[in-house]
Amino acid sequence: MAQVPGFIKGLGITFGTMMRTFKNGSNTVQYPHEKEAPPIRARGVIALHQDNCTSCMLCSRSCPDWCIYIEAHKELAPPRREGGKPRQVNLLDRFDIDYALCMYCGICVEVCPFDALFWSPEYEYSEPNITDMLHDKTKLSEWMETVPEAPALEVGADKKKK
Amino acid sequence: MTILNDPVSAKLGNRQQLSYIASQAADARLNVELETEGMTLNIGPQHPATHGTLRIIARLDGEQVVWAEPSCGYMHRGYEKLTEVRTFPQVTSLINRIDWLGSFANEVPFILAAEKLMNVEAPPRAQWIRTILFELSRIANVSLFLGDLGVQMGAITPVFLAFRDREYVLNLIESATGGRFHPNFDRIGGLKDDLPAGWIDETKVVMKKLRNFCDEIETLLFGNEIFQSRTRGIGVIPRDVALQYGLSGANLRASGVDWDLRRDQTIPLAYDKVDFKVWTHPDGDSFARCWIRLQETREATKIVDQLLDGIPSGPVMAKVPKIIKVPEGEAWVSTENPLGEMGYYVVSRGDLGPFRVKIRSASFNNISITPWLLRGVYVPDIITILASLYFILGDIDR
Repeated sequence: MAQVPGFIKGLGITFGTMMRTFKNGSNTVQYPHEKEAPPIRARGVIALHQDNCTSCMLCSRSCPDWCIYIEAHKELAPPRREGGKPRQVNLLDRFDIDYALCMYCGICVEVCPFDALFWSPEYEYSEPNITDMLHDKTKLSEWMETVPEAPALEVGADKKKK
Repeated sequence: MTILNDPVSAKLGNRQQLSYIASQAADARLNVELETEGMTLNIGPQHPATHGTLRIIARLDGEQVVWAEPSCGYMHRGYEKLTEVRTFPQVTSLINRIDWLGSFANEVPFILAAEKLMNVEAPPRAQWIRTILFELSRIANVSLFLGDLGVQMGAITPVFLAFRDREYVLNLIESATGGRFHPNFDRIGGLKDDLPAGWIDETKVVMKKLRNFCDEIETLLFGNEIFQSRTRGIGVIPRDVALQYGLSGANLRASGVDWDLRRDQTIPLAYDKVDFKVWTHPDGDSFARCWIRLQETREATKIVDQLLDGIPSGPVMAKVPKIIKVPEGEAWVSTENPLGEMGYYVVSRGDLGPFRVKIRSASFNNISITPWLLRGVYVPDIITILASLYFILGDIDR
């Protein structure tokens, strides 16, 4: 039997793919109408838990392109126990992340010693104006609602949290 | 004509160069009457076939290239200098961007060099996961090459298949690391986090799909007569020339040199725990280079499958101080990246960041052969040869 030409075999592959697409539906989704859920760990946007932030500036200093701006002032808070001395707390005046500069490396979330920064897989916050990409602390706090629980780990993982 | 006096090309009996010489001799009579004028053709910096901003300056004689030179640097981002003003943890987020299609593979040699200086070794579980992600980034990188290859020669279908199946791999990388293209998952002393639950089973399913994709591409593209006639015997790199120009990776193995850093060196990655075949091809032409990459993708899926079965349990992070100061010293580590040998020479003076980093990226050395290779080829073959050499512009210009 004569050999089947290679391009005929190739057309067979294309035909098979077409039939599979008819049967199982296409791999793409029509974006604004349908959405694919990003994975839990996806680095979409950084959320800020304001109460945990002590304005220690670690995130701002370790950011590779310096896109976190923090300003704070000190205030006296009532003592924890009765009769104690009033505590000194840092209050955030400004906590801005410039998403036009951010390169989503996640170093700020990692270095934060007080668990004030979290990743959220939310991604729909593009703006027509580049200055609007600067998210202030109220907007960053709003992202907190979208932060998911950390996923369970694979078998054999060390249970101990870092 | 310089080519006639060139002892290398005369000795090699290279088919394209011989055909050029023959055509020169045949045209000699014609040229007396029809004086042809040379022409300089600029391919790029913006050209659909260069995937990036590489400029090829080609001096043409009719349809044939007399002289060609790549002109790179249009996308130079100065990574070697940038790393000097960053701390060690920050560097990985930058060097992700060198070879943007296989970014996890960029992090590994740098981290290994830093670990070598600090005398830290990642725990076995971290090493295995590193190797798996390394191979996944190779698959993501090379599967795009296999699809893109068809587009350069006018075949549209393979690129859709490639993007379809590459998406599965990118989803895997994203669900484990958080970033599709820029994982930034490697840390000095281990990994940022462990794998999420269910990842191993998912990966096994995807690897099956990828092997199916390789079969499809093999029938669709490599079995196609047009593809074969466009690539066989075109752009032949003989073994000794490939070695002289310092090629690495699939380009070198396609010329018959059996050299693979995954097998030939001992580095703290899990490659010594798995069996895999290093494919070589004796021809050294464009077809051989493409074919080697196809086989490597298959081999990578097998490596991942073997590694998934035996991930040891334990922590993924060794004990390292919170503020990383790398002791004084110099270290060189190179690995077999999707594009070839990629290495980092890290000089530390005991500071938070490196004092100097020399990046050896594969594409920069691989395109250095283009002046030799493009001499005497026809204009349409320039695209085929450049496509089969497979470079990534970020990897050339850094």
